[in-house]
Amino acid sequence: MSAQTQAASRKAQWKEGALGYLFLAPSLLVFICFLFYPMLRSIYLSMTLTDPRGRVADFVGLDNFKDLFSSGQFFTNLKVTLLFVLLTVPTTIIWSLVLAALTHNKLRGMKAFQFVFSLPIVISVGTGSIIWSLLFHPTAGMLNYFIGFIGISPISWLADPNWALVSVSLMTVWMNMGFVYIVLLSGLQGVPDDLYESAKIDGSGPVRTFLQIVLPLLSPTLFFVLIVSVIGAFQAFGQIHILTKGGPMDTTNVVVYSIYQDAFINFRFGIGSAQALVLFAIILALTVFQFKVLEKKVHYQ
Amino acid sequence: MTQSWLNKKTAIGVMLAGAMLAATACGSGGAGDAPAAADKGGSKASSSGPTKVVFWHAMGGSNTKVVDQLVSDFNASQDKIKVEAVFQGTYDDLLSKLKATMGTKEGPSLVQMYEIGTRFMIDSKTTTPMQNFIDQDKYDLSQLEPNITGYYTINGKLNSMPFNTSNPILYYNKDLFKAAGLDPEKPPKTFEELQKAADAITKTGKATGANFAIYGWFMEQFFANQGAEYVNNGNGRTSPATESLVNSEAGVKTLTWWKNMVDTKAANNLGRKTDDSKKAFSAGQVGMILESTASLKGLVDNAQGKFEVGTGFLPKPEGAKEGGVVVGGASLWIMNNRPTDEQKAAWEFIKFLTSPKEQAYWHINTGYFPITKKAYDEQSVKDNLKKFPQFQTAIDQLHQTKLNTATQGAVMGVFPEARQIVEGAIEEALNNKKSPKDALDGAAKEITNKIQQYNKTVKQ
Repeated sequence: MSAQTQAASRKAQWKEGALGYLFLAPSLLVFICFLFYPMLRSIYLSMTLTDPRGRVADFVGLDNFKDLFSSGQFFTNLKVTLLFVLLTVPTTIIWSLVLAALTHNKLRGMKAFQFVFSLPIVISVGTGSIIWSLLFHPTAGMLNYFIGFIGISPISWLADPNWALVSVSLMTVWMNMGFVYIVLLSGLQGVPDDLYESAKIDGSGPVRTFLQIVLPLLSPTLFFVLIVSVIGAFQAFGQIHILTKGGPMDTTNVVVYSIYQDAFINFRFGIGSAQALVLFAIILALTVFQFKVLEKKVHYQ
Repeated sequence: MTQSWLNKKTAIGVMLAGAMLAATACGSGGAGDAPAAADKGGSKASSSGPTKVVFWHAMGGSNTKVVDQLVSDFNASQDKIKVEAVFQGTYDDLLSKLKATMGTKEGPSLVQMYEIGTRFMIDSKTTTPMQNFIDQDKYDLSQLEPNITGYYTINGKLNSMPFNTSNPILYYNKDLFKAAGLDPEKPPKTFEELQKAADAITKTGKATGANFAIYGWFMEQFFANQGAEYVNNGNGRTSPATESLVNSEAGVKTLTWWKNMVDTKAANNLGRKTDDSKKAFSAGQVGMILESTASLKGLVDNAQGKFEVGTGFLPKPEGAKEGGVVVGGASLWIMNNRPTDEQKAAWEFIKFLTSPKEQAYWHINTGYFPITKKAYDEQSVKDNLKKFPQFQTAIDQLHQTKLNTATQGAVMGVFPEARQIVEGAIEEALNNKKSPKDALDGAAKEITNKIQQYNKTVKQ
């Protein structure tokens, strides 16, 4: 190849690259403004002390992180967060999977059930939380009214430290169910009918077919739902803000809520940013872990 | 496939976490990223037209309409000044938005701020003390209620003009009192009497005796009612507070009594929301609650046809020092980054608001106290008192309060936070995690810590 043609092809390549970046420019701009710049700014803020108006008053190096890791509060919040993830993610996925499996057939009226089970997706966190705060009301709430029929004395759903996180999780499971259900149902519908037929001919019962044929085929969908749900659960905020405000006794004070309190109520951006960065590192590590370890078990067609 | 998945998902992870960080960064922003709400706030006084005064407030629900009415009445009464009222959400939201506009050209000329934001507003050095306008105008302060202006007077200077004020009273269900063999015309006055009454109501099996929402405000009021200070240095009034006194005798006594009632089922624990407490009371499920005077109309209306509502003073322990209630609510501040003529215009609007006629209208429609003494002479106020005789209790309680540093109320920069810490301590005690003394010791230590941190970042 002569030097001339080489230069020409390099020029063409460069042109193509530039064109690519031109198309990327709008989204890059948005990313820089709303993601990269704030993130860098957060790293800076995490090393400062701010006055009550939120202005940087002092540069303190890594003191905020030291404070964070030496205070028991942060670890308590982290524990609550992990517990919340454990309470909501597996339950939501299993519950939605059961519902999807039950409603994935062509019986008459199934459409109605499918509609009902996917309904929570159109309800916003705010509205959902208000509905549940009415249900949870300790004396006038419907939940206590119903459990009264079976002889259980009323529960202070949101005011009892032993119940608060369970109650918030219950509401979260219901709220997230819509999305997970729709994804899993469409995953189930992607399983070809002839597979069911040949399984039947080979003498496999419905349970066995589901566990050994359908479930492996569904594993990419389940994996996707898992990743999204875990990240979502780590970042849950609205329902906690409306239902409990982190109380009672910090039993529902997840890390995101404590970031909100520190940064936006008390205007201590330093410690708030430090927490945000630690949470970011944790979510990143967990996501990488899930891809490295769990994805080995995923069966792609 | 696997690889691209990883990249995509990592990117989404980064994006989501980044979005969160983005939110964090925005709040601290300078002039460039002032929130959208501020756009409405930026006003330019043109030389020809009327001076525009932007008024930010936090009066939600039906009170928004009352504020709007006052504003349009004022605008109609003259043509030199035009006030524009902007509702900014809860007090906390309003404070956050205001903080974001400080140091920029955006923002309101006049702002309503809750009482516990007082120290912050002074320390922020972004306001013009009300006293300046009062002195310039030779405005007669004696026409206002001294027990209300007392709260906002620090170092002998009135920093802001009281606007909506209330205090907590005891609401009780007269029918339940009768059923329990108690005198429905004699509400309990002391902790001991209240406990006995609550016990009697619970024993009838018809309802629980009492409920107090876990609300830091009530604790503050119990302190003042026993003549005790909440923070040191004369409740933070002679010089900025450095230490919390929430674990002193008054606090321990109150929390022990409260816990005792919950333990013996004389009272129940419905959590932090005052709304839940009110709902239970209106449903006849609890005999007594503590609530702001501003809730009176709603509570009486809700009980219509079900039971009769009585009101009493906030109780205090037997033999407690003389005290009274702290005037809760909010006041109006004039921001000093606005042009002088705009600030003066805001002052004109404030004068209009404090006139007896407007105060009467305000009082009747919201349930807040009139801050002007003469408002009680207005016929409409007299008629309203006939309709809601229960309100007399609130007025008496206000007038019987002896003004001293305890009843003037505490002042500290981290008040909103301190309130939450105290609420946490009450929860710890009621749920048997700690003894009342230990819980309050912990809270006092935490609050002291926060106060000192605050003092470090604020140059006096």
